[in-house]
Amino acid sequence: MTTPLTLSTHHRPDGTAVLTAAGEIDMSNADAFRAGLDTAAAKGDRLVVDLTAVEYLDSAGLTALFAHAPHLDLIVPPLLHPLLTVSGLASVVTVHVT
Amino acid sequence: MTDSEHAEPAELVFPGDSEMARRMRDFAWSAEPIGEPATWPASLRTACRICLTSRFPMIIWWGPELRFIYNDAYLPLLGTKHPALAKPGDLVWTEIWHIIGPMLQSVMASGQATWSEDLLLPMNRHGYWEETYWTYSYSPLHDDDGQVRGVFTAVSDTTERVIGERRLAVLQDLGGQSGTARSAEEACQLVAEALGRAGRDVPFATIYLRRSGSEELVPVATSPAGADPGPAGSRSVGAAPGPSGDGAEEWPLAEALVTGPVVLDDVVERFGELPAGGWQTPPNQAVVLPLPGETGAEPVGVIVLAASAGRALDEAYRTFLDLVARQTAALINGAVAYQVQQRRAEELAELDRAKTTFFSNISHEFRTPLTLIMGPVEELRAGLTGDDGKVREELEVIHRNGLRLGKLVNTLLDFSRIEAGRMQARFEPVDLATFTAELASVFRAAVEKAGLAFEVDCPPLPEPVYVDRGMWEKVVLNLLSNALKFTFDGSIRVTLRAEDGQAVLRVADTGVGVPADEMPRLFERFHRIENARSRSNEGSGIGLALVRELVGLHAGGITATSAEEEGTTFTLRLSFGHAHLPADSLIPAAATSAVSATADPYIQEALRWLPGTPAVEEAMLAPMTAEVAPDGHPDAHAGNLARERVLIADDNADMRDYLRRLLQADYEVETVTDGLAALDSARMSPPDLIISDVMMPRLDGLQLVSALRGEPRTAGVPVLLLSARAGQEASIEGFDAGADDYLVKPFSAAELLARVRANVELARMRNHHATWRAALIDSLQEAFFVLDETGAVIEANSSFTDILGYGPEGLPYQAPHPWWVDPAEDPEAHRQATETYAHMLGRTRGSSVTPVTHRDGHRLWVAATFNEVREPDTGRRMVVGAFRDVTAERFTTQRESALAALSVRLAEASTLPEALRAAVSQLCELWEARRILAATWDDAGQRYLTTSGEQIRWEDLDDQVRATLEGLRGRTPLHPITTTDPAGVGIIMEHPTGPLALWIEPGATRPFTVEDHTLLAVLCGYLGQALQRIHTFDQQRETALALQRAILGPARLPLGFAVRYEPAARPLEVGGDWYDTVELPDGRIGIVVGDCVGRGLQAATVMGQLRSACRALLLSSGPAQTLTALDRFAAMIPGATCTSVFCGVLDPETGRLTYSSAGHPPSILVHPDGRTQLLDEAGSTPLAVYQTEPRPEATCVLPPTGVLLLYTDGLVERRRRPIDAGIGEAAEAAKQGLNYPPEALAGHIMSGMEPAGGYDDDVALLLYRHPAPLEVAFAADSRHLAPVRTALRQWLGKLDIAPRLLQDVLVAVGEACANAIEHGHRHSPGHEVRLTASATADDLHLAVTDTGRWRTPRPHANPHRGRGIYLMRTLMQDVTIESGAVGTTVTMHTRISR
Repeated sequence: MTTPLTLSTHHRPDGTAVLTAAGEIDMSNADAFRAGLDTAAAKGDRLVVDLTAVEYLDSAGLTALFAHAPHLDLIVPPLLHPLLTVSGLASVVTVHVT
Repeated sequence: MTDSEHAEPAELVFPGDSEMARRMRDFAWSAEPIGEPATWPASLRTACRICLTSRFPMIIWWGPELRFIYNDAYLPLLGTKHPALAKPGDLVWTEIWHIIGPMLQSVMASGQATWSEDLLLPMNRHGYWEETYWTYSYSPLHDDDGQVRGVFTAVSDTTERVIGERRLAVLQDLGGQSGTARSAEEACQLVAEALGRAGRDVPFATIYLRRSGSEELVPVATSPAGADPGPAGSRSVGAAPGPSGDGAEEWPLAEALVTGPVVLDDVVERFGELPAGGWQTPPNQAVVLPLPGETGAEPVGVIVLAASAGRALDEAYRTFLDLVARQTAALINGAVAYQVQQRRAEELAELDRAKTTFFSNISHEFRTPLTLIMGPVEELRAGLTGDDGKVREELEVIHRNGLRLGKLVNTLLDFSRIEAGRMQARFEPVDLATFTAELASVFRAAVEKAGLAFEVDCPPLPEPVYVDRGMWEKVVLNLLSNALKFTFDGSIRVTLRAEDGQAVLRVADTGVGVPADEMPRLFERFHRIENARSRSNEGSGIGLALVRELVGLHAGGITATSAEEEGTTFTLRLSFGHAHLPADSLIPAAATSAVSATADPYIQEALRWLPGTPAVEEAMLAPMTAEVAPDGHPDAHAGNLARERVLIADDNADMRDYLRRLLQADYEVETVTDGLAALDSARMSPPDLIISDVMMPRLDGLQLVSALRGEPRTAGVPVLLLSARAGQEASIEGFDAGADDYLVKPFSAAELLARVRANVELARMRNHHATWRAALIDSLQEAFFVLDETGAVIEANSSFTDILGYGPEGLPYQAPHPWWVDPAEDPEAHRQATETYAHMLGRTRGSSVTPVTHRDGHRLWVAATFNEVREPDTGRRMVVGAFRDVTAERFTTQRESALAALSVRLAEASTLPEALRAAVSQLCELWEARRILAATWDDAGQRYLTTSGEQIRWEDLDDQVRATLEGLRGRTPLHPITTTDPAGVGIIMEHPTGPLALWIEPGATRPFTVEDHTLLAVLCGYLGQALQRIHTFDQQRETALALQRAILGPARLPLGFAVRYEPAARPLEVGGDWYDTVELPDGRIGIVVGDCVGRGLQAATVMGQLRSACRALLLSSGPAQTLTALDRFAAMIPGATCTSVFCGVLDPETGRLTYSSAGHPPSILVHPDGRTQLLDEAGSTPLAVYQTEPRPEATCVLPPTGVLLLYTDGLVERRRRPIDAGIGEAAEAAKQGLNYPPEALAGHIMSGMEPAGGYDDDVALLLYRHPAPLEVAFAADSRHLAPVRTALRQWLGKLDIAPRLLQDVLVAVGEACANAIEHGHRHSPGHEVRLTASATADDLHLAVTDTGRWRTPRPHANPHRGRGIYLMRTLMQDVTIESGAVGTTVTMHTRISR
């Protein structure tokens, strides 16, 4: 059973792509997450990733995010923020804590 | 559980898959009076469960017929009686029902439990009547109404132990006979008597001894007494075995002698019914064993030992009978050795008796012809007219010699009378001083005639002395005669004194003395001192022996001291009064005190020795003298020395020629014509004797004597003056001048020759004392020695040489004496020798036992006794001592004490390895060995090593040592073997698991002697038996332990729990305390800690029942309800009332605990912040004690990482201290260990609370930390990551930790799990990954384990993996990754923040 994860992409009025993830991201579904990122990122310079509804993120997910730095704007819940700081991702992407 | 209509499934009543459980489940109970299990009372069902789940033999006897229910462990006890399920007890155990039936009935009737220890129950369970011993308890089983309906029994088969102890006692009894038998036959009788007392083990025995020098075997002793020794009478070994005359078969004695022990398994068939030794069936098995002789010798005989029909003749029994045979052989050999010695002594005594008898007979035969000679001679002498000088002279010769022969014959007769006890003494009160002086005066003439001073000093004594006059005469006359015979110069002195309440007679001479080596035989009959210079060659060598015997008849004593060339003193002591004498031998004082005619022959004989009597010629001429007293005594003049020089001074040429003719045959003769010439010659070369005429020109004889005496060079030259002047004045004049002798002309040639000879010999006589004394001390059996004031041994006797090997040739032996043990070899022995020596020199008397070394190197032990003496002549302080060889006695003592010490050490051991270690270290101490190695081999050839010192492994031994130990294998058991490279002593013996080789490397200070070899064999024989015994005990203990494990607590504890159990009664490892956890179907856990009254097996039995009941109750009831039900159950079980129980039900999810306490000390809850809380809100009375209110119940919630501590009062209760203090202490100990995992915490509390001497009461401890650790195992597949995460999140949730920490832990653990899946099992998906998580008060511990191998991290190839490890390290405080052949473990730790 793969870890539950839903991904949806929409575009802001300014055309910026927003990838919204919900669930947990680990090794079992990191490929799907990466694919989602790649697809969303292909449409513009910047990509907003909304992780507000993500309860768990591990190094596989982080790696996928690192691949798109520095063109990412991350929206994260407070729970995930320390991880981004610890992993160094926070210093290469823009992070908004909800 | 009181609801019996509520049927339980068969699996619950008869749990488990044992044979009996299956059988009972399938059993058609309805057909039996016991009925369907569903109808059984709860107690029977509980008892059944206990019975079936126990590995200890148990039986339940149920109902009025005591029907039989039992478990698998009981099967071997039943033997062929199985199956016996539900059968009435009397049909099962018919043969012992007369014993156990009444016991069971009494339990049924009274409800009182019984306890039987080592009860003999003869059983027929293996097809024969077997002697078995049992320890068991019959406990009543009540039904639900409290009626005794059955009996519950746990039994223990103690047969091996009881029999083992009894056999050991038999062997000890046999061993105790050692040293008492005086003959081989007597030894056999003793063995038979000892075995007669051991009928249970040896119902019948018969011993055959080999006739010496033949092959014939003769039955000597049989046990029991009076039993027919068996079909074999006296027979030859060579005889073919076969039916004997009466049709019965023979014991295979010859076969046993040739091939060793023979086992017979058809005794009844072949030999009929032998005595059964108190057993109901006669023996059918027997062993015929050879009795080995002394080392290397042929067997001395054969012993037939029947084995009791009550025991199978197994290995242990065989070993036992073998030891009986060995002991028997040892006793026989000991007796034989004694007998040989005894026979030698008897032979010597017999020889002596024969000699006496011979002389006695001869003497009698002599008397008749002697009388017929003497009578006519007397008549002839009286009738002779006087002028026929020649005839008179011849007659005198006959008369004198007749007298002499008569005296000799009478002395011999006296002797034979004494010997035969026919000498009738008649003791009368005698004025001994006067009587002795008179006797002595009889000798005066002879003594003075011999030129000796004679001093008789006998002042009146304070009281009369009881003597037999005739005997006393002989004593005094013999001593005087002896003194005169051996004294050529000086004096003879007779003194009588009262000393120490005794009359002491001393006869001292200044004679030739007795050589020291002759002293011991001085008083021996017919013994004559060879080559001693004496006045006469005559003598029978019987005088002194007679004196000693006569003095002995007076209950007196005689001693002699002598120094060669100085003289001899005989000292006689007679007590005053007559208390020491037989009353019927006393007679009143006689009127006369005249000296009897007894003296005549003595005087006559003495006179004959002296010059001036014709006896000298007789002695020279008469060869008959030599025939009468053949003594081989060489003539003193026989020329083996340089001839003495005699100077003759006489102015008469005829006289000079006459004298020269007379003397030149024997002497170097020089003649001069006057005194001056004589003086010149003497000055130039002093002769041995000067014979001088008194009347001479120039210088007369008297002047010559004066001149000679005036010059030192010639002062000692003896001078014999010849004078024509008769009369006393003339001789006094001569003596005054200093002449040694005086002869009046005319003198006979013989007289002259005798005087010359006497004087020459007198002159030569010097210092022969020592020889005499040595002879005396040589006669002692003990090693006699004399120490001078410097401590040097200056004298020693022949026994000394025999015992120590140091002979007189090495004298003096300066201290330290060479027989002292070398301090380098054995410091302790040296110390003892030094101490003994110091005592000898420092004290006036004493004794001690000390080790010494024989000249040939062997060690022996001597008992030393010593006395300080003053040397009579010089007053020097000397020590006279004696050594007695006590090596054998000491060895016996040493063996006994070594055996005792070993058995004490072994008694303390409860397991085989412990026993072996104890034995090895004991032996090591005994021999002060450098080390002792004990190797055992199991069936697989695996070697196990036990050592006296630091434990080392077989593999770490030197090759040579290993080879030595291997070499011992297969050697004859219990035969010590000396090994050389490396040096030591090895022995092989039996060990329950196989052969046991023992190898001793002797210490430098304690050599291994021959006696030690024997001791080693004895000890190892004992050790082998002891090990067997312990092995048996060990097995029983294993059973007991299995029982304990079965009834004590759950085999598997739920997670988060730790327990400790410490029984007070060792080695029993069960007690009245218990703990229990019950995993309830809904996930909750029942927790119980209880404490039955009492200790030991009985308390354990009660405990087992309560525990089972409580377990069952918890399945359906809450704590209070359970305790209430248990109250009713406990009321039915004897000894169960007043049990205290803490019972709780825990929800491990929430930490919620519901509990109730039946009089049990409150449990303790320790909060993570260190606060402690007592769970005392639901306390009530102990079980089955009067109670009106329902039992209370309380609830509490265990905080995260809080610790729940349940215990029994043994943990906290101490004498003279309130229990609260102990509870506080336990809480404190738990608080200190808040950060320990449960196991470590339990250990910490137990050791922290343990009193100095260990717990003196049973202690049970159960603790739980909430929440229990998380343990998750999942297949290595990323799909499982999310569920694992959920489980972990839930578990962490119970800890109530900060969300941030929770997330950190989730990520770190997630990374570790991902690594395990990705790397550990990249090529083998599906393998298992394990996650464990546990918490203490302040710490979280996490571990992820896989079974794969991680690749070396290559961050560039796999950047996010490296990132994973980085994350783990950053989020956690410690991360350790251990990768090995079997997998990788990531352990992580972080502090808890809340």
